[in-house]
Amino acid sequence: MHMTRRTFLGYAAGAVTSGLRGLPGTRVDGRPVVLLHLSQHSSESVAGYTGTLANSGTRFLHAEPSSVPHCAVLIVPAALRIRPALGAVVTCLAGGGTVILESAAGFAAEADFRAHRAELSDFLQVHVDAPVRLWTAGQRIPYVDYSWPHSAKIRDFSRVVPLAPQPGEIIARVDGLPVCLKRQIGRGTLIFLGSPLGPALWAGDAEARRWLLASLPLFH
Amino acid sequence: MKKSIGDNMIPKDWGFERGLELVKKAGFDGIELWLGDVPWFQMATSDTEVRELRRKIENAGLAVSNVSTGLHWESPLSARDPKIRTQAVRIVERQIETAVLLGTDAILVVAGLVTEEVPYNEVYQRCVETLRPLGEKAGRAGIRIGCENCNAEHRFLISPREFWQFLNDVNSNAVGIHLDVGNIHDTGFAEQWIEIHGPRITRIHLKDVMKKRGRCGDQSVYTNLFLGDNNWPAIRAAMTKVGYDGWLIAEMEARYRYARDQQFYDTAQAMDRLISGRL
Repeated sequence: MHMTRRTFLGYAAGAVTSGLRGLPGTRVDGRPVVLLHLSQHSSESVAGYTGTLANSGTRFLHAEPSSVPHCAVLIVPAALRIRPALGAVVTCLAGGGTVILESAAGFAAEADFRAHRAELSDFLQVHVDAPVRLWTAGQRIPYVDYSWPHSAKIRDFSRVVPLAPQPGEIIARVDGLPVCLKRQIGRGTLIFLGSPLGPALWAGDAEARRWLLASLPLFH
Repeated sequence: MKKSIGDNMIPKDWGFERGLELVKKAGFDGIELWLGDVPWFQMATSDTEVRELRRKIENAGLAVSNVSTGLHWESPLSARDPKIRTQAVRIVERQIETAVLLGTDAILVVAGLVTEEVPYNEVYQRCVETLRPLGEKAGRAGIRIGCENCNAEHRFLISPREFWQFLNDVNSNAVGIHLDVGNIHDTGFAEQWIEIHGPRITRIHLKDVMKKRGRCGDQSVYTNLFLGDNNWPAIRAAMTKVGYDGWLIAEMEARYRYARDQQFYDTAQAMDRLISGRL
């Protein structure tokens, strides 16, 4: 099904929180932190974010795309087809929340990457280039350098989805490639991760955990 | 204890049937089948063809000691790419299926591969999480998965205590260790590994190792039994101590340059000496 931007925005405005009343979760200004489950391929990333949030004492909700509540923070791990998450993303941004969108396109098949790129561009105006394999030429420094909210070195995940020139602040680079972006959209903030963070969280990378928690507005 | 040897030791130009004859004539009780390493046993080999392999093995007076594979060096369970991981899991599943068809109860798996690119913590976590459901599947089929200690080769689970903790974390009775007494090199002593793992040992690979040499050009660090640095009396005593009475499987990396069949006879006789304890 093709969805135009206008149709999508209409859909997004109608996003509701039905079916979630009574679920536990940290409420920041009355709104929870939500971890969105998009696909079965995101299990390591979901586990990474889940473990980090749980260990930090943050209470949060898991949600399926069909039932996402209004939230202060929406984390979308290992996103490939973004369309199912778009309603929640736009609603969160429109409400002044922060969306962390982690791309899983590094290992995607060509057709899946093309769809990913088109959806990012059409609906969020995030423009990405084709995935880059970082380890084709033997030895290299295995870190992505983050510059926001503080400097951090976090292991790469072999492949990255680099960003094309566009508005917003580049907050991480690897081998000179821009891979993470922070952009203000209305009252909200979109953080796009072209290098997956979830697997590093899942593998117990303390630096990755510190970075994630520092990037959440709850902790500022 | 029973003696076995890998079908990947059969000279390439001999073929399976002639190889079986040699294995039997040399005095072995069984054969280890290497999925993906020999033309007669590939991922695409059908169930019917696998049953035919079993018939030939039994007709030769042999049994299948276990199903091994080298395919996980190319497609490790610890891969970051989900497509490769899916293939790695499928390889283990096929090993389980064919083990049932071949009438054996053990398979060998190289559990993970630490590289510059894929770090240790990630490999550990991914292998534990992947092996749990595979252990359930194997257990239901009556098969035990033996994770091989490849030590320096896969740069993973280097010490026996580390391996012990790994198996604790996997927490499945169907997942143990396929112990290779040659793979420990200069990082420890095979007899201590045997003592620590005892009942968790699914099978034992035998070869000797020249601990001080390391890999040197195209020369193998491994050698025939009793030519290297393993303490064979201690290894034999440790087997007795833990009550290991299962298959011993010869795995020779360095092959005889001439009279290739002679390696089978020499190895079988050396294994007889080891089993008898006349060392």
